[in-house]
Amino acid sequence: MKWSRIKTISTKEWLEIWRDKLYLAMAFLIPVIMMVVLGFGMSMDVEKIPFVAIDYDKTEQSRDYLHNFSDSRYFDYQGMAANEKQAESMMDQNKIRFILIIPPGFQEKLQAGRKVQSQSLIDGLFTYQSKVVKGYVLAINANYNQQLLQNWFAKKQGMKPSNISAMLSPVSLETRYLYNEQMSSLWSTGSGMIMLVMLMAPALLTALGVVREKESGSIFNIYASTVTRTEFILGKLLPYIAISFLNLLVLTWMALVLFGVPFKGDPVLYLVASVLFVSCATGIGLFVSILVKTQASAALITLLGTMIPGMMFSGLLMPVSSMDTPAKIEAHLLPGMYELNIVWGSFLKGQGWSDLWGNMAILALYSMVLWGLAIWKFKKRVAS
Amino acid sequence: MSLIIEVNKLCKCYKNIEAIKSVSLSIKPGEIYGLIGPDGSGKSSLMKVIAGVLSYESGQLNVFGQRVDSEASAEIIKAKIGFMPQGLGLNLYPELSIDENINFFADLRDVPLAEREERKALLMTMMQLTDFRHRAMKNLSGGMKQKLGLICTLIHKPELVILDEPTTGVDPVSRRDFWQILSYMVRHEKMTALVSTSYMDEAERFHTLSLFYQGKILAQGEPDQILDSIQGWVALVHSQALFVCVQALSTQFTQVNVFGKAIRVVAYDISREDFEHQIKSILARCPKSHYQIESIDLEDAFIGLLRPKNKDQTVKPALDATKPNSIFDTNTLMIEAQNLTRQFGTFTAVDQVSFSVQSGQIFGLLGANGAGKSTVIKMLTGLLKPSKGKGQVSGADLNSSGQKIKENIGYMSQSFSLYADLTVVENLKLYGQIYAVPKKKLAERIQWALQMGTLEQETHTLVGSLPMGLRQRLALGCALLHEPKVLFLDEPTSGIDPIGRQQFWTILVTLAKQSGVAILITTHYMSEAEHCDQLALMQAGKVIAQGSPTNLRQQVSDALGDVISMKVNQPYAALELLKKAHYDKAFLFGKRVHLFSSQVAQTQKKVLALLHQQAIEVLDVQHLPPTLEDVFVHFLESNKIQPTANLKPKESSSL
Repeated sequence: MKWSRIKTISTKEWLEIWRDKLYLAMAFLIPVIMMVVLGFGMSMDVEKIPFVAIDYDKTEQSRDYLHNFSDSRYFDYQGMAANEKQAESMMDQNKIRFILIIPPGFQEKLQAGRKVQSQSLIDGLFTYQSKVVKGYVLAINANYNQQLLQNWFAKKQGMKPSNISAMLSPVSLETRYLYNEQMSSLWSTGSGMIMLVMLMAPALLTALGVVREKESGSIFNIYASTVTRTEFILGKLLPYIAISFLNLLVLTWMALVLFGVPFKGDPVLYLVASVLFVSCATGIGLFVSILVKTQASAALITLLGTMIPGMMFSGLLMPVSSMDTPAKIEAHLLPGMYELNIVWGSFLKGQGWSDLWGNMAILALYSMVLWGLAIWKFKKRVAS
Repeated sequence: MSLIIEVNKLCKCYKNIEAIKSVSLSIKPGEIYGLIGPDGSGKSSLMKVIAGVLSYESGQLNVFGQRVDSEASAEIIKAKIGFMPQGLGLNLYPELSIDENINFFADLRDVPLAEREERKALLMTMMQLTDFRHRAMKNLSGGMKQKLGLICTLIHKPELVILDEPTTGVDPVSRRDFWQILSYMVRHEKMTALVSTSYMDEAERFHTLSLFYQGKILAQGEPDQILDSIQGWVALVHSQALFVCVQALSTQFTQVNVFGKAIRVVAYDISREDFEHQIKSILARCPKSHYQIESIDLEDAFIGLLRPKNKDQTVKPALDATKPNSIFDTNTLMIEAQNLTRQFGTFTAVDQVSFSVQSGQIFGLLGANGAGKSTVIKMLTGLLKPSKGKGQVSGADLNSSGQKIKENIGYMSQSFSLYADLTVVENLKLYGQIYAVPKKKLAERIQWALQMGTLEQETHTLVGSLPMGLRQRLALGCALLHEPKVLFLDEPTSGIDPIGRQQFWTILVTLAKQSGVAILITTHYMSEAEHCDQLALMQAGKVIAQGSPTNLRQQVSDALGDVISMKVNQPYAALELLKKAHYDKAFLFGKRVHLFSSQVAQTQKKVLALLHQQAIEVLDVQHLPPTLEDVFVHFLESNKIQPTANLKPKESSSL
């Protein structure tokens, strides 16, 4: 193996990327754009749900009940609708996600000590969001019931409301969220997105870079020369690893500044792991490029092959521990999960070498296998 | 003397297609060995196999005495080989400058820095690229790309260079330079060269050659040997009554072709006396005609070699296959261009081009890739608005009635634009509907197109599985369904075998002469230009000369004289001697030296004496008229137009 030849190939590759403005933009802009779009776009927080109310009672009590909803930070009160028809047409146009209906005689029945039925209509198209909305509605309703009860007792017994509260719900449950204290989904997805973007972008860039030479025919310069397979592949990949590492640093900075994610772990570990992951991702692209002949098919295969596993089987959307067995196996076979462990471990959990070395070892092994396969599969004397 | 390359019964398959069928050849050191044949005949595959970059199924291959049968064994020979794949400049890096491209190839080949700089300087001076060394490769002209490709292939002093179609689509001056440089390098660096081409007229450049057709070698040997192995004669007939003559000759001979105002008759397996006698007796029936007998060229030989196998295939449409559907007036102006100019940004692709084509005329636009031919066609067919100038096509103005033009013309592009997954008839129906041919008429027109292209046997064949020649005739049929009076053909014959080309031209001549269609055709085959009535030579967007082939040739004859072609036993020594004696217009063609002279007899006497002094044996001497390539080179040089760089902003090719 001659370093001079590796350097020659790397230099040429870098010059080509640098001078081809389209390619250069693709190399450096696409990861940033993906980070912004996916980071904000994939936020899982259910907040400020637009809704309208139909108040057939129009009494003090009904307004009081409505206030419990409109004051909540989870809901965004869009005003009063005259009837169901009007409200439903708003729902049809996607202006609101939820309708609250207060029946006539709301106050009258309550004051008479009778049971009253209000109604909530929730847009069921987005099942996850709908379930969350239902949870909010039930909680607010339960809270209102407790208030009513509290007030009734207070009036009846002449006790302080706080005492009554203690009597009515003697066990209070305090929940505190670990790692993501503010339950900001930006913290989790924002940092997790580094994994997804840095899985997709380097793989795509590398695959296109190698297949481009096949398509143009310049690969024959390599085939016909005395450059070894290893020299060619190392020379070809080094610029892409460097570019991708730079991109990873930019994305990390974005996670810290733009999404306000805290970094609690070991920066050195994080950098070492990043190099491992980037060489793993370029390895995927390299492997694809050995198998296909056109840039179009290379782009399609790498995108599909990295995006779907990166999103679905990495633990980004759903924890790996709660997946069913086949999905779990798939998650363990792909590099995304290990990198996500490292990213979240470093950003949010403050984990160190002793916690994460296993994940890093697997990433290192992964890239070695991919590179080895690619070098083995790359033929300088082809069949067609 | 050991052989550089030995190929023995080599076979190469791609899935179930046999690309090379048991080919054997051997190449001696110091040879320029040629592979000639149409596209898809197996030349490229063989070159890749020899370069050690393509595997093969059976047979044997030795390169430099090394058996090449695996990737490991192929690696051993690669240091001594320079390989330039097909597709001009495609293996170069467009974003890198000339300098950087060369450096890359040198460093890849471990050429030490000092040696690299020295060799680079030498080669760049030789190819006249030094002044452009910092220009990005993507901004070079075709000829410059070809030269850069050659430098990159030669930078590590290979003992064997393998060049796959290095001259395709390059302007004639660059082509001529290329051959000069190659023969210089072979001579001075004790190199051996394996070169492929699809131009039959380049055959004389080779010491030894193999004619390829459908994966097999039809013939191999020195160019003269191949010609001698086929007994055949050509008669060039001129007559006032062209068609009476053609009809008469067709009764006796199968190969009768119209070249402008001349008829070219070829016959094989016949003695010169018998042939001349037959011609004479036929022409006795044609008034005011005269003839001259010549020996066949390599293209004729190629057809002659294929003849026994293709006896039933060479059914060619006789001139009466399409009955004259109207009497046409030869003086109707069908295409007219006046100072047509087209600019892309600051780049002028077409610069004040003027010409006119009358009905029944075949007009050839000749030039290298990037000369502006296609842009002219695009403007005339209403696809592109001219920046300046005006013109008309069958009465419709270019600047105002683009749509009307499209209705009146037939257009056939280089890529044929047929649908590979449809059958022959389905393609015809589709085009018929696109051109809005009335339903009743369409059936009749499809029948006509099938007959014209001799496609009756293939009506339900998928176009994807048709050979190139048939595809080409189908595409022509599609373009003619609506009976246009003007036909535009953009490089319709690239890479098609000689038989296919000849059949195609027969059809075109019939269309023009019998139906009065005005035909504008572009080509970079000099040999095809002979078929045209009028020619315009284009270079760098300009028309540098116009006229009939005969007329253009006469102009060059007047200016430079004719060619003395001498076959000598020491061609390199002979050339050097002549150059020293200030015969600047001397060129090497394989074992022949060509020399322009306005006083042929005198010069010949002097030169023969000179060669005799140095004990160089002259084996034979011929006098040749200038070829169209000579014509092109002459006008380029006298106009002092350098093949300028192509600065046209191209769509980025990445992604």
